[in-house]
Amino acid sequence: MNLSTNNVSVTLSGRQIVKDVSLRVMGNSFVGLLGPNGSGKTTLLKAVYRVLKPSAGMVCLNDADIQTLSYRETARRMGVISQFTVMNFDFTVEEIVLMGRAPHKTAFSRDTEEDYRIAEEALRRVDMLKFRDRSYNTLSGGEKQRILLARTLAQQVELLILDEPTNHLDIKYQIQIMDVVKSLGVGVLAALHDLNLTLLYCDYVYVLKDGRIVAHGRTEEVITESLIRQVYEVDCSVERHPKNGRLHVTFFSRL
Amino acid sequence: MNSNIKRRHALLGLMIVVFIGLLVLSILLAVTIGAVKIPLGDVYRIVLYQSTHVKIGALETGIQIGDIDFLSKGTMYEIVWNVRMPRVIMGAIIGVLLAACGVVMQATVENPLADPYILGISSGASLGATFAIMIGASTIFTGWLATMGVAFWAFAGALGAMSLVMALAHLGGGRVTSAKLVLAGCVIGSLCSAFTNMMVYLGKNAENMREVSYWLLGSMVSAKWERLTLPGLCMIAGLLFYLTQTRTLNTMLLGDETAITLGVNLSRRRRVYMVVTSFLSAIAVCTCGIVGFVGLMIPHIMRGFVGSDHRFLLPLTACAGGIFLIWADVLARVLIPNTEIPIGVITSAIGAPIFVYMMIRKSYGFGGR
Repeated sequence: MNLSTNNVSVTLSGRQIVKDVSLRVMGNSFVGLLGPNGSGKTTLLKAVYRVLKPSAGMVCLNDADIQTLSYRETARRMGVISQFTVMNFDFTVEEIVLMGRAPHKTAFSRDTEEDYRIAEEALRRVDMLKFRDRSYNTLSGGEKQRILLARTLAQQVELLILDEPTNHLDIKYQIQIMDVVKSLGVGVLAALHDLNLTLLYCDYVYVLKDGRIVAHGRTEEVITESLIRQVYEVDCSVERHPKNGRLHVTFFSRL
Repeated sequence: MNSNIKRRHALLGLMIVVFIGLLVLSILLAVTIGAVKIPLGDVYRIVLYQSTHVKIGALETGIQIGDIDFLSKGTMYEIVWNVRMPRVIMGAIIGVLLAACGVVMQATVENPLADPYILGISSGASLGATFAIMIGASTIFTGWLATMGVAFWAFAGALGAMSLVMALAHLGGGRVTSAKLVLAGCVIGSLCSAFTNMMVYLGKNAENMREVSYWLLGSMVSAKWERLTLPGLCMIAGLLFYLTQTRTLNTMLLGDETAITLGVNLSRRRRVYMVVTSFLSAIAVCTCGIVGFVGLMIPHIMRGFVGSDHRFLLPLTACAGGIFLIWADVLARVLIPNTEIPIGVITSAIGAPIFVYMMIRKSYGFGGR
């Protein structure tokens, strides 16, 4: 599954938030989307998963304009994990996860053995099986985030869109979620805040600033001290860690 | 390992069958109760004969136990088959309609405080009915409009108010949000109430006033077989439609954005549900007046027991609404001998304590915990 955005611009209440962005996610590569707050990451992702319509340009899945596909078709191929939202009504954890099967179902089809098995397996994978009967609204933020990952797993997609999926999670579950996503072997487009997680997981990154792509390339080549200073306006040092031989970033306080 | 949710789903599926059974049982029991004492055997012999009675040309057949004249003529027959039975069936139909509409409306506006009347249906209907009773259509209109009864004006008022609410919510562009709809409903509601109250206040005729109040509180007194056809057909069509929409209703509760990522575009569906639900509620209102509580509380009570999955919640709530209204109407008939109590009084008087019990017994917190 290949995803591409071709010269996509998004305008929200008269202001252009995303400007002429072209990026691609080929096959099962793990692509990061970096940029400071307000740089347009979330807006761009929303245009990709069809909550917003681009004001110019188009989003393509395997060379087909996404606007020509039905919502069901896109939902079968592309899963989204964004920030969890507050619900006025309550479901159990397992009901939420089973809803991931919705795009594969028609109005009259019932849940099959297969659906139950997939949902159970998804819960096991995010280590939440013992929470299956809990009410979703009683979970902590981090637990909710893992349930949403499980729902997306149950959706069985070829492409994942993640919008800061590790917010609200302690470090153990940050790594767990990223490991689970990486191990799926599907294409991933992830907006991330944490540069060290980006260095650990992403094959390729795009860097957004003020709605434009200012840098892109292989992760280790893009994340440099000078780029971080230019984009995030902080001082840091990027060094190779002696233990795993990978780059990592250390930030310095201004004090 | 046996999945818990699979067992739950099987159990809930069984529960639907049980509730349908209870609904039928309620109909059969409620028809034996009334001011006139009729032996049980006589009641069922009449019901059995009349409900199996078919007449094709000269061929007339039916399960006949006893004298044919007793089964199809006379006081007993009239009371059982032409007074009680349509009334019980009407209770069932209206209860099913209102409860199902309540569930769908709550999901559609993503607000647990919504009821089937939320888009100004009840206030519009009240205005229409009060106008027809207090002023009389023939004093203003001529032609066919002058000949229409109270029910027609109630229906027209309901649809008129609904259209105004929808138009108001669309005003100024932007997305139609649940907050806008609820506010527009309130605005149109108070406007209609103002006119209704004005007409009642200026009214001189005590008999008319009694009719208005009876109508505003809801009543099944007017039940006749021929008045059941339209609501019955609407109930069947509406339920069949809703039952194809249960998965969408589930995703609706997750919010617009999540729904899109699960393959459902809600903004169009929401408008369709709103029109269908308002239409069905308007049908219910013009059949028997405004029956409060059923559409708001029965969905909550059922949700507290079975959860929010509409595949089970919707049919169970529909049945529960029918059962509830049948028995509320029985009480309305027999609680005070020789006096009809408005059914709205009964539904609130029984329903409120049940709901309080739910709130105490369980951690049911309207979803927001």
